[in-house]
Amino acid sequence: MKRDYYDLVVVGTGFASSFFLKKYLSKAKRDQKILVLERGHFYPHEERLKAKRKEHTDYEKYEEPWEKAINNNSPYKKWPFTTGLGGCSNCWWGCTPRFMPSDFKMKTLYGVGEDWPIDYNDLDPYYYEAEELMHVSGPEGTPFPRVGKYPLPAHEFSIVDKILHKTYGNKYISQPTARASRSTVGRNRCMTSSTCDTCPVNAKFTIENSNLGVYEDDRVELVYGAQVYSLELSGDVVKKVHFIQDGKEQSIGGEVIVLGANPFFNSNILQNAGDKNPFVGKGVGEQLGVQVLIYLDNMSNAGGSTWVNANGYMLYDGAHRKDFAACLMEVSNAPYYIRLERGKYLNIASFRLLFEDIPLDNNYVKNTSNKLVPDVFHTKRSDYTLKALENMKKKLPDILSCLPVEKLKFLDPFPNEGHIIGGTRMSKDSASGVVDKHMVHHQYRNLFVLGAGAFTTYSASNPTLTLSAMSLFAADKVF
Amino acid sequence: MNRRKFLILSGVAVGGVAIPASVFFVSGTIKNYAVLFIERELSYLKLEPGSVAKYVDDRFDGTNNLMDRVKWKAMYYLNVSWKSSDQILELIKYYLLSSDFFINKMDESKMVSYLGLYSPYKSPVPNPFAYTLHPPIEIKNA
Repeated sequence: MKRDYYDLVVVGTGFASSFFLKKYLSKAKRDQKILVLERGHFYPHEERLKAKRKEHTDYEKYEEPWEKAINNNSPYKKWPFTTGLGGCSNCWWGCTPRFMPSDFKMKTLYGVGEDWPIDYNDLDPYYYEAEELMHVSGPEGTPFPRVGKYPLPAHEFSIVDKILHKTYGNKYISQPTARASRSTVGRNRCMTSSTCDTCPVNAKFTIENSNLGVYEDDRVELVYGAQVYSLELSGDVVKKVHFIQDGKEQSIGGEVIVLGANPFFNSNILQNAGDKNPFVGKGVGEQLGVQVLIYLDNMSNAGGSTWVNANGYMLYDGAHRKDFAACLMEVSNAPYYIRLERGKYLNIASFRLLFEDIPLDNNYVKNTSNKLVPDVFHTKRSDYTLKALENMKKKLPDILSCLPVEKLKFLDPFPNEGHIIGGTRMSKDSASGVVDKHMVHHQYRNLFVLGAGAFTTYSASNPTLTLSAMSLFAADKVF
Repeated sequence: MNRRKFLILSGVAVGGVAIPASVFFVSGTIKNYAVLFIERELSYLKLEPGSVAKYVDDRFDGTNNLMDRVKWKAMYYLNVSWKSSDQILELIKYYLLSSDFFINKMDESKMVSYLGLYSPYKSPVPNPFAYTLHPPIEIKNA
């Protein structure tokens, strides 16, 4: 490091940190000094492509298997994530629907979980800003309140999509996505490869191709290979950040500290620091995903221009959420679900159904004797979620009655959705959570804890756009 | 199980246990049976000569252990189809995805040629459902 004290010390370079920095830098004075500590390294997209093609790349040494970064104590569950510059922007699939307004008011509307201390209207302007920064492709007319066009046009519907949209209107839309429907700055048009973790044509938004400009800003010093594991607390103030770099213990002081690692590591850092808030590490989880194959009688499902071509909201909102969870339908354009009966090759649609879950205390993160590697326990799904799965199986045939359905085949639930949520939940006070509505720690007031860890409840929708908007909101309101 | 299937299965099982691997090897490799499976299941298509063997060569890449050979041989002679075996389903599905079959709009009158193992990172074959093969104008009024 060039200094021993910074105005701002940021941990991590994923969505949460990068969008926070984007807003912070737009407001900060020219003489501000910002340090960013990234545990991984810069592994360029073109080098990731070489690895995918099984060609040699010197960067492969920077791939850190998630299985070694945490102790996963639940064999049925997987928690894939990526470290290095851009964090999970290097492995996400680019789905960017907004949350529904009801997602922020689960207690008031349905008596489930807790209300968030912010609501949809608070985030609305920051949703627009995040969508602009990601060049999101999407339709006019959405089930959540939104006015005007998305930055890029909507992706093309398939034949099945057209019929469902005609039947359900704005409850069945082309998915808002950060997979470009047209070539745009730094990115190509999506080619529907349906392999988005490392996009074969660089159509998906990543921090690397984002043009956010935050890590090129001369006020920012970015340090790689710096694994943060704890904080030095003095009274109600964070004084220093402790990390290991090249096997050496190091510390750095800062006026304001921002934890933007993933929820497992944000919780681990707080626990190692001695944070006594009982909610730290509690309630981690994600949505439950199930695939259903829809065999069509004498109807081809050709068309579509991206991986998740559409979102269905027919099982999302409503009074049922008092009893069981919302379900978001993701309509996949998956090449590997072709049929083999002669002449019926494309007579199939495949939906991935995402069910919200709720934070449970017995799903948690706990620090261990190895300060770098936390334990992660996921012991159960809520009954709230499992009931929704059963309800879906009853309701889906009716919902799809506008299609010539031959049969439905439900596959086993997926072991992961790639959405790590919870552990530092947002609340109005410290009696019910860890951070306030600006993601500032209730006790340590110079500490932000960003990301999906701060979600009060999970929603059925993909988390990335919302957590990015929350970072913009927090930096805008506090600085 | 009918008598014919029972006899075949018994024979295969005995072969697998009693015949030394070196002898059994000459009775056929997994690759041989994989080719036979594809040719049988897709007998209504014109498969380019040598095309299936090349695909199978690339896909199996040295795999040929004794138990697998016995299993594939049994499945072939028992007339197991992709409907009851995920292995065969994957074999045939990825053959079609690795060929120009979808590029030719599933035209059964055209010769089917292998283009390289299906991979969005390497192969020229696009997603068979997508707009690259079925442009919006084509499905506009579908």
